[in-house]
Amino acid sequence: MLVLTIGGGLLFFPPLVLLFNHELTVFGVPQIVVYLFAIWVLLIIGTALLTRRLPRDATQDGTEGDG
Amino acid sequence: MLSADFVIATAIAYVGLLFVLAYFGDRRAKANKNSWLNSPAVYTLSISVYCTSWTFYGAVGNAARSGLEFLTIYLGPTLVFVGWYFLLRRLVRISHLHRITSLADLLSSRFGKSSRLGVLVTCIAVVGIAPYIALQLKAVTSSIQAVAGSSEFGQGSLKGIDDVGLAFGVAAGMALFTILFGTRHVDAKEQHHGVVAAIAFEAVVKLTALVAVGVFVVFIGGGFEGIFRLAAERGLAVDTATSFDSRWLTTMGLSIAAIVCLPRQFQVTVVENSNENHLRVAGWAFPAYMMAMSIFILPIAVYGLAVMPEGSNPDMFALTLPLSQGQNGLALFAFIGGFSSATSMIILESIALSIMVSNHIIMPMVLKLSAIRQNSDGQGVTRVLLIARRVSIILILSLGFFYFFFTRDSDALAPIGLISFTAIAQFFPALLAAIFWRDASLKAVTAAISAGFVVWAWSCFLPSFDSVSPAVSALLDAGPWGISWLRPEAMFGLEGWDPLAHAAFWSLSINIVTLVIGSLITSPSALERIQATAFVDVFRHSGLPQRVFVPGSATANDLFFVAERVLGEKRAAALFEMVARERGVDPVMMEPTPEFVAHLERELAGSIGAASAHVMLSKVVAGADVSLEEMMQMADETQQAKEYSQRLEKTSEELRLTAQKLEDANAQLRELDSQKDEFLSQVSHEVRTPMTSIRSFSEILLEPDELDEVQRHRFVSTIHHESLRLTKLLDEILDLSALERGERSWENVPVDAEEALNRALAVCDALLRQKGFQVEFGERSGTTMVEGDADRLCQVFINLISNAVKYNDAPQPRLRVTSLVRSGNFVVDIADNGPGIPKAERTLIFEKFARGLRGSVDQTGAGLGLAISRQIVTRMNGTLELAQGQLSGACFRLRLPILGQK
Repeated sequence: MLVLTIGGGLLFFPPLVLLFNHELTVFGVPQIVVYLFAIWVLLIIGTALLTRRLPRDATQDGTEGDG
Repeated sequence: MLSADFVIATAIAYVGLLFVLAYFGDRRAKANKNSWLNSPAVYTLSISVYCTSWTFYGAVGNAARSGLEFLTIYLGPTLVFVGWYFLLRRLVRISHLHRITSLADLLSSRFGKSSRLGVLVTCIAVVGIAPYIALQLKAVTSSIQAVAGSSEFGQGSLKGIDDVGLAFGVAAGMALFTILFGTRHVDAKEQHHGVVAAIAFEAVVKLTALVAVGVFVVFIGGGFEGIFRLAAERGLAVDTATSFDSRWLTTMGLSIAAIVCLPRQFQVTVVENSNENHLRVAGWAFPAYMMAMSIFILPIAVYGLAVMPEGSNPDMFALTLPLSQGQNGLALFAFIGGFSSATSMIILESIALSIMVSNHIIMPMVLKLSAIRQNSDGQGVTRVLLIARRVSIILILSLGFFYFFFTRDSDALAPIGLISFTAIAQFFPALLAAIFWRDASLKAVTAAISAGFVVWAWSCFLPSFDSVSPAVSALLDAGPWGISWLRPEAMFGLEGWDPLAHAAFWSLSINIVTLVIGSLITSPSALERIQATAFVDVFRHSGLPQRVFVPGSATANDLFFVAERVLGEKRAAALFEMVARERGVDPVMMEPTPEFVAHLERELAGSIGAASAHVMLSKVVAGADVSLEEMMQMADETQQAKEYSQRLEKTSEELRLTAQKLEDANAQLRELDSQKDEFLSQVSHEVRTPMTSIRSFSEILLEPDELDEVQRHRFVSTIHHESLRLTKLLDEILDLSALERGERSWENVPVDAEEALNRALAVCDALLRQKGFQVEFGERSGTTMVEGDADRLCQVFINLISNAVKYNDAPQPRLRVTSLVRSGNFVVDIADNGPGIPKAERTLIFEKFARGLRGSVDQTGAGLGLAISRQIVTRMNGTLELAQGQLSGACFRLRLPILGQK
């Protein structure tokens, strides 16, 4: 999850984001737009999948290890 | 064609619908804790209050003006929610545990329940949010005007009313609506289920509206490809090359801070959260919502730029595009969507801010003035609280309106919002420090937030009045008093930067540096340390810090008096009854324990904020409120010094004890030494007497023919007698020293102690009769088995009896013997009516050669009998001591652990 957050962060920030900023278009849409939305979708899916694997907090005030 | 009157009527009808929704939402939430209102979906939708009219209108305008930059506002929060496990979960857990009601509450609670910090945060939040509120007013006003301006009869009743009047009307309506919505009652946890339900509904409306407009635009524009091709043909290529500069970073950073620190986001995400597990869904669903919101923004913007006439306001494309195509229904829907996003933001933001204002500014003032005491009405505080909320809502909206009034000529929506974001971001370093950094201190945080705020006000807030006042413009150009390095948009000579990036850089850098350095050089107070541990280790210790209130003079009645005034009579009574029932006592008889006071404090904190609750209860419960345990754990400097001095004290105490022990040991040694000397002299003395008589008699015998046979015989028998005595003495000495050194060992075997006693009595029978003793028997135990040596035991008894005989000079001598079993011991008392043993000699008589003064008259014994007897008894694991007897004389008590009684 940490990897996802930090990785997502890196991919959204320069300079990595610049790698995908070209005059190309995908079905008429600029590449960078497609890139950003694609990362976005991956982050959402990744979070949903990872969350499913995380143990649920049993109770509101139960004790558990630090994340 | 749409008219302004019609859209205003629709808007009012829509608000009515929201109100009905909120009303039923509240009732439903009250009736049933597990209703659909309490679902992760509603929670996620309520978080989407983040998407305001800024998103709805401003993002389109932003996309039209600066390309992809608008995306950062959503990508930042996406990162925060994707990482919900690290930050949001922690915030929610802390807030649930400590009944946090706002960001100001969280910070003041964390930093030693400082009310001053609460006030600071509240003031900054109120000022900082003003532009954001103004943005919503502007958006709604513009949207109404966009509709009105679209046709010649569109003005309707708005004719003659300028945008200021319209904005004032909107602001007033919003204030009324928010008051009706949000301040109907004071909830324990500041949760507003009804409002949340309405917000969730609005979230659906605005998303549907924006998507509807988007789909429409994509449809008429010939698909995504068509739109971008059209734009390219008109030379409107989305300029992406310059997007990823310092602004990209800045807005991304600011939006990360904003999603957590904006008062309304904190309210919906943290305070209104009823179940931590809802975050699991929100973690991916909220980013998905934002993505759905923004997916059509670029097409709308690009298409709008391409087809709308030159000079049309890109902020209103979402509205004007359908209008220009004659799609009035869609335009109305779009208007409602935009209106929806503005109302939900204003409602929640004002509720969140009013909670802060009333809890941190108004309530402490009221408490200080002690108006409650005069107000005997049980609903006192609740009513004051509600009035305070209403006043603060009006104040907040007024501030927003004034900001709008002064800056109404500045063009776009998004930059206004970013001014607020920058202000709110000043809390973010403090927030992170509060929950992750134990050493962060109140002073540092206060200084950091203040410094950041001042820089923000100078470099971000002030320039936004550029168009309003020539003085501000001059200031921007030349700096104050011509000091160029203080120019708001080029501080310290940092020129050529984007103003937003410049302001954010300086304010946040100074903020963070102050926070870090300040925390490192200041030392937090005890309460701060307690709270720091509780916050930072929230997942480690589940419990709250147990503060030890010394209950002092406070009675349960006093506490109830306070609780009643804050919580209302019903809830206070319910709370007290519940606690009393848990403890199984009558509520009237209940004692206010520290735990109960802490519990009560948290309950009150839910209504009036941690700092106020703390002040209030501290007033009632006079006494210290520092947990000793926590104090011990935390190495406070004073504590360390104290510990050090305590250690020193302890060491010196130990040294003193050691010296004392040494002295004692030395004294004992000397005592032993003198005892040894005494022993030797006693022995010499004891040996010398018979030796002298033996020598003198033998000398007489050596003289020839001076004695007759009778005399000679007498002398020889005397010599014999004396040598026997000498032998006996030497035997005894040997016996004793052997016993003492444990050399003479015997097998302890089960023996009948009673039988040994009887045997001793039989042996002494003749002696007793001879001396005319009257022997009495007390209780006799009968056969009693002990571990020991029968002969030795018998020897001890004989010794005791013969002592009693020897020293008894009473005219009618008596001896009393009892034996009994008492608590697992065989106890024999041998008492006589002799002179007894003087107090001074009682400890001495068991020493060697100590016969006692009386005994010194009689020289028949060596004075070793009692010493030997005691040794013997000790070897049998028993004791021999003097006791208070039933006769006037001495009484020896022998005690042996029994084996078993037959």
